[in-house]
Amino acid sequence: MTFRKTMTAAVALSTALATTQPAWAADGVTFGVLVPLTGELGEFGKIVADAVQLGVDEINAAGGTKCGPVSIAVADTGGSAEQAIREANKMIDSEGVVAILGPASGEMVALVDLAKRKKTPMMSPYAGTITLNEIGGDYVYRTVSSDLGDGAASGLWLTEKGYKSVAFLVQNEESTISPAQVAKEAVEAAGIELTDFIVYNPGQPSYQAELISVLSHNPDAIYLAGGQESGVTVLKEAAAGGFEGEWLLTADLAVPEVFETLDPRILNDRAYVEIAEADSSLPEFKAFSQLTMDKTGKAPGPFAANSYDMAMLSAIALEAADACTGEALNAKLRGVTEGGEKVSTFAAAKEAIAAGTDVDYEGASGPLTLDESGTPAGAYMVKKATDGAWVDETFYPASAFE
Amino acid sequence: MTLFAQFVLTGIVTGCFLILATIGFSFTRRVEGFLNIAHAELLGVSAFTTWALNKLLGWNIFPSAFVAIVFTAFVGLAIGRIVYDPIRRFGPSVMLITSVGVAYAIGGTMDALIGTGIRTLDIPLASSIRFWGLRITNYQLLVVVLAVVACASLALFLNKSKTGLAIRAMSANPELAASRGIDVQKTSRATWLISSGMAGLAGVMLGVIATLSTDIAFHQILQILAVAILAGLGSLYAVILSGLIVGVAMDVSVFWIPAGYRPLIAFAVVILVLLIRPQGLAGSAQSK
Repeated sequence: MTFRKTMTAAVALSTALATTQPAWAADGVTFGVLVPLTGELGEFGKIVADAVQLGVDEINAAGGTKCGPVSIAVADTGGSAEQAIREANKMIDSEGVVAILGPASGEMVALVDLAKRKKTPMMSPYAGTITLNEIGGDYVYRTVSSDLGDGAASGLWLTEKGYKSVAFLVQNEESTISPAQVAKEAVEAAGIELTDFIVYNPGQPSYQAELISVLSHNPDAIYLAGGQESGVTVLKEAAAGGFEGEWLLTADLAVPEVFETLDPRILNDRAYVEIAEADSSLPEFKAFSQLTMDKTGKAPGPFAANSYDMAMLSAIALEAADACTGEALNAKLRGVTEGGEKVSTFAAAKEAIAAGTDVDYEGASGPLTLDESGTPAGAYMVKKATDGAWVDETFYPASAFE
Repeated sequence: MTLFAQFVLTGIVTGCFLILATIGFSFTRRVEGFLNIAHAELLGVSAFTTWALNKLLGWNIFPSAFVAIVFTAFVGLAIGRIVYDPIRRFGPSVMLITSVGVAYAIGGTMDALIGTGIRTLDIPLASSIRFWGLRITNYQLLVVVLAVVACASLALFLNKSKTGLAIRAMSANPELAASRGIDVQKTSRATWLISSGMAGLAGVMLGVIATLSTDIAFHQILQILAVAILAGLGSLYAVILSGLIVGVAMDVSVFWIPAGYRPLIAFAVVILVLLIRPQGLAGSAQSK
């Protein structure tokens, strides 16, 4: 009798849970947007959140997913892995998000275990860390290529530019050291003199000690892989120290704010920045760029196309999935990036899937075929500082590195 | 040889900045009797106040810096009165832990008020002064001059003024000082104003030489602690020697070993000195 009562209660409870669990699914689904909104990378976090919202608006304008309209829940990582884990748990447990979009490299690596344990896919538009080359794939994806590609693009540009000597100044982080090593190998292989390879710690008031040796060798160019705070200080101090050569900077310094914080003479016509970027000649990118202009009045910021594509990929995978859960989304995610009818909008994907056709999403950031580590092949742009803005200089499609 | 001398010169500048950043911290430790971890955040308060006046309101750097130092001094005084005075009876450990909370509160407030990204002051690009094959920028020279002036002024104040003598008496023996008629409240207020004002001065220099982000001030706390511990956690004058040792050791180390180990060198020096003199450079066994 007691056993029967217990079983009855258990069945009733299971039924109640089964009824309540997909409650969010009936009303729609939520994507978590977990980005650094404060701290040094805050500018990027806002760009990502806005671009995901733009994508979600397009998805909902096309009638939403089969799980209902999509909404987003935004949280700030503050650039901290601990805070990212805390917020991700909250998003999954309290808000029932089916995917988490937007963490940066350090946070993505920290979230891998949680993503697999909670069966909730995580996707980043800018986490290039090579650690994800090893542990990415199942539940862990990105719409940007690996840092190794950044390094290859930087190396290619440095060798093509015809410099005789180059110094490397690299912030002490895995995400900057890995690509710098790749670029360094390319420079050495090309027979260019490597005058210094200095790894420095960020957060210092001054980097004069790190610059002494670099400036004493007076290289033709300095490859600076640093954050905004350290990078701007290094640029100022090198200029004050009499450096008159050129610069190749990495993605963190690709923001317009750099021009507001530096004397324009330091950058204009002698600084370049290398960044993973969509092929602006692609019709998908042009459409996205026009959409961004129409909605915000501004051109897309760094990684905006990659961020928009995260929302699209998640929604298309959900549309193709058997259920409105992170697990079902994960099962379809790589599949919707290869081997089917090519689509470039959610509306077209939705229509094709409804007709029983496999789809291959080609996004605003380019063809997004995800490999086994959940990473697409990358295209890169080198931009030149011209009249206080970054202007396109040389584009390297993914095929340039084959 | 010139290259090595350049590292030494840069190290002296680094040391002078550390002196400016640490002297107020050490002063609080000596008089108030606890490690005020929030001291580093006061550098940020001053740096961003200077930035707001200079960049947003378009003030000249000098009045901006002056107002920022005074403002920071009063922010420090207010925190001392509102937060630390009521918990003084619980002892230095509780005050230290509270100061960590105060640091987070100040940091969070700055995050909310300042927002994301980086900031720099509206001042001319530094220019280099060259001599004997060496190079120093005008802003680096300013750091050295201010460190010398600040230390000399503080020494004069503590040795010659009535309030300074009262502060020294209170730091040596608060009960005895109170029984001899020293106004403990007034002396404590003067201590907070001076130590926070010193943080304000260091914060202005942080704004002048560095690129500001809301977390850069807190990044300085480990080196401040290293200098203070090396100095003996009680001595003000030893802070000068300690700051120079840590600054020169860190920067000269780059001559031989990778720059990524710079922070490690600061603490390696501290550990080495403490192995020989556990009380620090100038501390005594009885030092608080």
